[in-house]
Amino acid sequence: MTELRQLFFESAGELVQKLNDEAMQLEKSPGDAETARSLRRTVHTLKGDSAACGFRELSELCHEFEDVLTLENTAAAASVPEIALRAADVFAALLEAYRKGTKLPSIQSLRADIARLAHPASSGAVNAKKKKKKAAEKTSRWSEYEQLAITQAVAKGKHVHHVVVQIDPQCAMPIAGRQMIQLALAGLGEVLALYPAEGSLDPMKRVEAALVSEKPAEQIRAKCSIPTIALNVRVTPLRAEAPSHPLPPPASAADSEVKDEAASPVAAEVTAGISANDAASTGEPAAAPAVPSGPDNVLRVDAERIDSVLNLVGELILAKSMLQQTLLEFGQRFPKDVLRGKFSDVMAFQGRVLNDLQHSVMKIRMVPVDQLFRRFPRIVRDVGLQCGKEVELMVRGGQTDLDKSILDAIAEPLTHMVRNAVGHGIETAEERVRAGKRPQGTLRLGAYHQGNQVVIEVSDDGRGIDPEKVRQRALSQGLLKAEQAARLTETETLDLILQPGFSTAEEITELSGRGVGLDVVQSVMGRLKGTVQIETARGRGTTFRLRLPLTLAIIRALMFRVEQRLYALPLNAVAEIARTFEEDIHQVEHYDVLQLRNDVLPLLRLGSKPPRGPETARRKVFVLVINSGDRKFGVIVDGLEGEGELVIKALDDQSITTDLVSGASILGDGRVVLILNMIALMDRFTRGRADASGPRMAGLLSSVVPVASSIESSEMRARGTAGGQA
Amino acid sequence: MEKFAPVKRSEDGQPVRYLIVDDSVFARKNLARMVETFGGQVIGEAGDGVSAISEYDRLMPDIVLMDITMPQMEGIEAAEKIVRDHPSARIVMVSSVGYQENIVAALQRGARHFVQKPVKPEVLYEVIKYVMRDDGTTTRGAGAGA
Repeated sequence: MTELRQLFFESAGELVQKLNDEAMQLEKSPGDAETARSLRRTVHTLKGDSAACGFRELSELCHEFEDVLTLENTAAAASVPEIALRAADVFAALLEAYRKGTKLPSIQSLRADIARLAHPASSGAVNAKKKKKKAAEKTSRWSEYEQLAITQAVAKGKHVHHVVVQIDPQCAMPIAGRQMIQLALAGLGEVLALYPAEGSLDPMKRVEAALVSEKPAEQIRAKCSIPTIALNVRVTPLRAEAPSHPLPPPASAADSEVKDEAASPVAAEVTAGISANDAASTGEPAAAPAVPSGPDNVLRVDAERIDSVLNLVGELILAKSMLQQTLLEFGQRFPKDVLRGKFSDVMAFQGRVLNDLQHSVMKIRMVPVDQLFRRFPRIVRDVGLQCGKEVELMVRGGQTDLDKSILDAIAEPLTHMVRNAVGHGIETAEERVRAGKRPQGTLRLGAYHQGNQVVIEVSDDGRGIDPEKVRQRALSQGLLKAEQAARLTETETLDLILQPGFSTAEEITELSGRGVGLDVVQSVMGRLKGTVQIETARGRGTTFRLRLPLTLAIIRALMFRVEQRLYALPLNAVAEIARTFEEDIHQVEHYDVLQLRNDVLPLLRLGSKPPRGPETARRKVFVLVINSGDRKFGVIVDGLEGEGELVIKALDDQSITTDLVSGASILGDGRVVLILNMIALMDRFTRGRADASGPRMAGLLSSVVPVASSIESSEMRARGTAGGQA
Repeated sequence: MEKFAPVKRSEDGQPVRYLIVDDSVFARKNLARMVETFGGQVIGEAGDGVSAISEYDRLMPDIVLMDITMPQMEGIEAAEKIVRDHPSARIVMVSSVGYQENIVAALQRGARHFVQKPVKPEVLYEVIKYVMRDDGTTTRGAGAGA
């Protein structure tokens, strides 16, 4: 039951989103009959779904709205898009209230809007009509898969019949009765959909089916009229409009919808937003993004179930490395034993399978970014209207896949960035014309894969960010001191806008400001082990580039030692590794640097600084060169441990007292590796320089050591002795 | 007992020939009397599934009324075996309400219809009429795999 409920909320959310899209589409091309029809279908489906789940208020409201939309002239009525948008908001609010079990929001004003749309004079007729329709209607509920099969069959021009059989109330064995009807149906043609499903133990005395059959309806009726079981049989053709869920569109519409879905491949630039071209009428990829449930057979699964599988895969990987460790010990003890070779062959094979398994499971968690991007046309429209700006939204790469949990996490920051771009980045029309630009601003949203990362870009063609202004503002807000300010590079200056408490806008607008700054972006990215990069050109625009890992669960990392402890950094952050001696590390203005080829590389020392002396001078150290955006620095470590795939163990908040650690992992031999947070490191580095406290950063990681010890001891307890020494 | 119009075989107008399978003699007699009022002819009886199969092979009846719970071989299995050898066999399952799942299983294996115990003559009559109806779709097969 709860599963069904969850499914409802998920699909209802999509429907509300679809309603938003369609309303905006209608706003752009008023009078477009196809869009109007599609909008009505959306409302109809939502009505059916919510009725099936017993959410009366929503289903009634949808019903009233749908009724109004039947009028021939709705497509022409100018207020429809506006009311549809309002309806989408109210529906969303209702859904939220249902989900949380809170008090339902007021629906009176929407109801009045709808009534006004129906009959400018009176609204009484709506209710009368509603009753009439209600009596005639019975909602049924096909599964998504069944619905798809129906839609496709109808589109192919097959004869699809909607068969409803009422079972005799006298029949004491309705399940057996339904079985007979199902058999009769199967003898007539292909059963595309059946409710209740085959094998269902529901004692329901009604069977509903979608049947593909060339036989005349009368024969189907006769065949299903099984004595002592069927009370009455209704056979209607399933074509344009039918009481099913969701409505299969008319054949022509189905064709065009399928085309639309197919025509939005990864690279297709989909235009959506205010005053965008009417893509649909020109036959180009439609503005309304395709419904995420593509043409394939889709299965909805609770994300938690996948997570638990992924956790198990993580444990397997851990077990693999434990086994590897054991094999190593075995090899040392019996170097000549033939079993050794066999062992490693088997383990290599197991490793390959494990790798495939891991990737397959991770793939399940991937969802197209479009799920998030679809929200933005509405947001851009609303913010644009509020600020009196004309903004066109271009979306690219909506099909790029990203881990669902990452996608959820970036929803808020991305929304914030989009609002910000429209509210602050893009100028008003007059200002743009004065600057010699088109009056209409453009906002681009893009996503693409790059190596092991996903890049998401929000870019506007607005006024750009003036670093000087940012510097002034940061000074006046007391975020930094004058002497620090002078030393910052341009990139570092721009990064200031991601600091908590920073705001460049002269006025806080209701939509963009909201009292939160862009620091939400920074903090979320830190949590996700991603990075933010800002690029700006005065008068030409700004690009925010988010780089995210594909998944949070497993990373390829470089492991190294600092003061006998193991740490790791994501492998892709490390550009190169340099080997050097302590004596080659020089001091410049209080911080360590290394001459690396022709560059002077600033260094960050993770451990405490060794005392000076001839012994220390010849000590070998490694420098990991970290490349992040345009910043490059080195990290001094004592020794390298190798690279590997680390399964990240979530750390609870109590055990983390420092932001320097983003996660922990356990190796096959039971040792704990702490995964360092790049962003925080970089932050320390920048601040360290700004504070001119470089040399006193000794023992940066001293605060981290207790974390490792506590994880170790709790793991030892959990695994018994399996973990080995440590 | 009310009077029923006789049900005849559509191909030659002869009386419908029945095989009645039930482990209770009383139940068999009761059913036999009932089908006789429909103008039917009971050509054989069996008290368990195994003899039901051999009796079917020997007699080739038009209709089998088959009980579900019987010693040696249950009705479902017997029905399945008969239908496998004789796809055109018309088997009507007879059972009490508690065995609904078995009925579903029997239907999936090729039984044509079912009646509930205690059997009401008017219900059985309708069922017989339906099962004997020759509308060109007598051979099934679609059902067995479904």
